[in-house]
Amino acid sequence: MDAIRIPAPAELDGLDDEHFRQVVRAFLAQNYPEDLRNPPKRLHWHENKPWYFKLAAAGWLCPGWPKEHGGLGLSPSKLIILTEEYERYGVARTNDHGIVMLGPLVIKYGTEAQKQQFLPKILTGEHIWCQGYSEPNAGSDLAALRTEAVLDGDHYVVNGQKIWTTLAMDANWIFLLVRTDKNAKKQEGISFLLVDMNTPGITVRPIINLEYHDEFCETFFDNVRVPKENLVGTLNKGWDMAKALLSFERIFLGSPRQSGYALSRLKLLAERMGVFEDATFQESYARLRLELEDLKALYETFVAKLKRGESLGPDVSMLKVIQTELFQRITDTMLEIAGENAGLLEPMEGNRNLNATGQFIQARPATIYGGSNEIQRNILSKNVLGMPG
Amino acid sequence: MSAALDDSDRQESIRMIRDSAAAVAPVGGDTKRIRALRQTLPGFDAAVWQQMGELGWIGLRVPEAAGGAGLGVAELGALAEELGAALAPEPLVAAGISAALLAAAGAQPELTALLAGTSLVLTAWQEKADTLEVPGTADGQRVFIPAAAGADAFLLPVREGAKLALYWQPAAGAALRTEYTYDGGHYGTLQPAPARKLADDVGAVLEQALDDAALVTCFTLLGGAERAFAMTLDYLKTRMQFGRIIGTFQALQHRAADLKMQLALLRASVEAAAATVDAGASGDARRAAISRAKVRAAEASMLITRQCVQLSGGIGYTDQYDVGLYLRKAMVLSNQFGSANLHRRRFVATAPETEE
Ligand SMILES: Cc1cc2nc3c(=O)[nH]c(=O)nc-3n(C[C@H](O)[C@H](O)[C@H](O)COP(=O)(O)OP(=O)(O)OC[C@H]3O[C@@H](n4cnc5c(N)ncnc54)[C@H](O)[C@@H]3O)c2cc1C
Repeated sequence: MDAIRIPAPAELDGLDDEHFRQVVRAFLAQNYPEDLRNPPKRLHWHENKPWYFKLAAAGWLCPGWPKEHGGLGLSPSKLIILTEEYERYGVARTNDHGIVMLGPLVIKYGTEAQKQQFLPKILTGEHIWCQGYSEPNAGSDLAALRTEAVLDGDHYVVNGQKIWTTLAMDANWIFLLVRTDKNAKKQEGISFLLVDMNTPGITVRPIINLEYHDEFCETFFDNVRVPKENLVGTLNKGWDMAKALLSFERIFLGSPRQSGYALSRLKLLAERMGVFEDATFQESYARLRLELEDLKALYETFVAKLKRGESLGPDVSMLKVIQTELFQRITDTMLEIAGENAGLLEPMEGNRNLNATGQFIQARPATIYGGSNEIQRNILSKNVLGMPG
Repeated sequence: MSAALDDSDRQESIRMIRDSAAAVAPVGGDTKRIRALRQTLPGFDAAVWQQMGELGWIGLRVPEAAGGAGLGVAELGALAEELGAALAPEPLVAAGISAALLAAAGAQPELTALLAGTSLVLTAWQEKADTLEVPGTADGQRVFIPAAAGADAFLLPVREGAKLALYWQPAAGAALRTEYTYDGGHYGTLQPAPARKLADDVGAVLEQALDDAALVTCFTLLGGAERAFAMTLDYLKTRMQFGRIIGTFQALQHRAADLKMQLALLRASVEAAAATVDAGASGDARRAAISRAKVRAAEASMLITRQCVQLSGGIGYTDQYDVGLYLRKAMVLSNQFGSANLHRRRFVATAPETEE
């Protein structure tokens, strides 16, 4: 059989789906570092940058971005295929806040100068972003945030604290929601600011999570001076943009990536535990598979909307709830069939494909971050269903 | 003695056990001791183990004639509940299996040392995951031995014809491998090397001891779930978001009410099983009661501790916040001595359906 040729990035979206799938497989086989397959924990930048740079060099880093901004401009069905093949291969998640969140925001709301300044540097891996929204007293109630930015000549001076900042220790840029008007109604005094993390006055302190991993951080700002032109959009109108950005985040969190990966590993675990053929297991496995297929169909309809240039409504919250709760059910099932292995700290038998406890623990915060599932249900009932109150 | 008096005596002895547990392993005390022992070997504190021996806890169920306290499973359960709430890592449940075997074997010096807390003897019975069966193969690796690195000796059940003989294997020189568990403890894998025979047939004693261990584990899970829920309830009553205490949100009130119902069922189920065992039930009636409790304990404790993390938000996902310690403990204990799946199957096989 002839080796599959990897076409130029601009040609990828034009391939038929099956051909595209073969191309992705070949690309991974040729490029993905073997030792990074199925990492038991989220990788830090120093671990996954070889892969990030490979993607960047090939032009594959931003599959969902439009072609004119350096993305692959993939159709919804191709994005799903890409995701499926990444899962199958056990591809690690990258430090992707720039790719998934900040890039699309700048494309939509940034000035020409901001696009020129920031997008190319995401595409080369020069800028690694993190998200500074949450504060100790502004979690679900994000609009209560108090970190403030005060104009002083050509700079904003930022003071305050962010928390749960994922992979802040790896990032060199952070996008912040800051208060720029203390007297306005709480949603109306918030702005969106891009901050170089090498600016004096920023302190990052890692927090160990339930996985015994230093994945998120506290981030402190003490008189941090940020050039005025790093404000995105209109002053005091950051909340509306942040809401739009949250819908990019929700569609990402609603992608079948986590559940698909977990389901394939549930199968391997069930085979290893000798229960795969059991009728009771088959029953619950079938339920989970069906759920995943329907999630993919629903996900495709949302991605298609985005592709048509429509903006997403509050109903995207559904995706996030359905995906994250499916992810949890799959990993709950892993523990149920794993026997005493359900208590092991490391993947059983040293096999990263049999990492039931790691998957289970990683599924826990999925219903907390990105707007907790309780908050998503509030949005659905109020803003989609029009419930009073 | 009248039944009523008997009952109030028991309640009194259970209360005393709870009080003494609180002195050794204070619930709601700081978790510094527990945290410091995580991912260390042997992972528990030898001085506390000895103190547990002095208090008579290791031999709580061993007959008085053999040097134990001769109490029931309800008493041991109450103790396990307190220790579960306090997250004590000392291997009381595992040692209970060995105590029953040594008592049955009449191995008095070994038993005396174990009950005093001056030595730890662990029973290496298990040869695969999720089972209550004891094949007793001569050279088959024994797996999932909790706290194994702290053992001074192992008890090895070995199949000999129709009988299950019991052998002694000193820990010194044993081929033992350990791997850490998510709560910071560890499991050992042992290559058996039987040194000295203690008894010709302990099959029936071991079967019963494993069932008792399953039931006492249910109490440990109950204690942990209770404590995690109490902490979470406090949080719901104090944490402010949107200018309100989050416990005023009806979605969270209903969630808390649902968890309370699971806790009530959990307690009812394990206490009923303990009463059944203490009333002298045997055979399938005993097995069915214990299986029922274990199914509930595994599922309710996982549900409750998972939800406690969820209701705590970001802080619930940190290592520094104690609620997560209970989730980790439940991950380790809920499948010990049989998963919910195993016990559901055994319940169906052992509990006759009552005629309407
Ligand atoms: C692993 C992880 C990574 C994260 N990464 C980032 C990041 O990179 N950047 C960032 O800015 N933030 C990040 N976060 C923060 C995350 O967005 C917040 O944790 C989340 O918004 C919840 O806020 P909180 O933790 O303050 O919980 P709280 O808001 O205090 O919520 C506590 C509980 O109350 C519930 N609740 C709150 N309000 C209501 C209501 N009105 N109705 C019903 N229930 C309610 C919540 O659902 C939750 O169960 C991360 C969090 C986690 C766990």
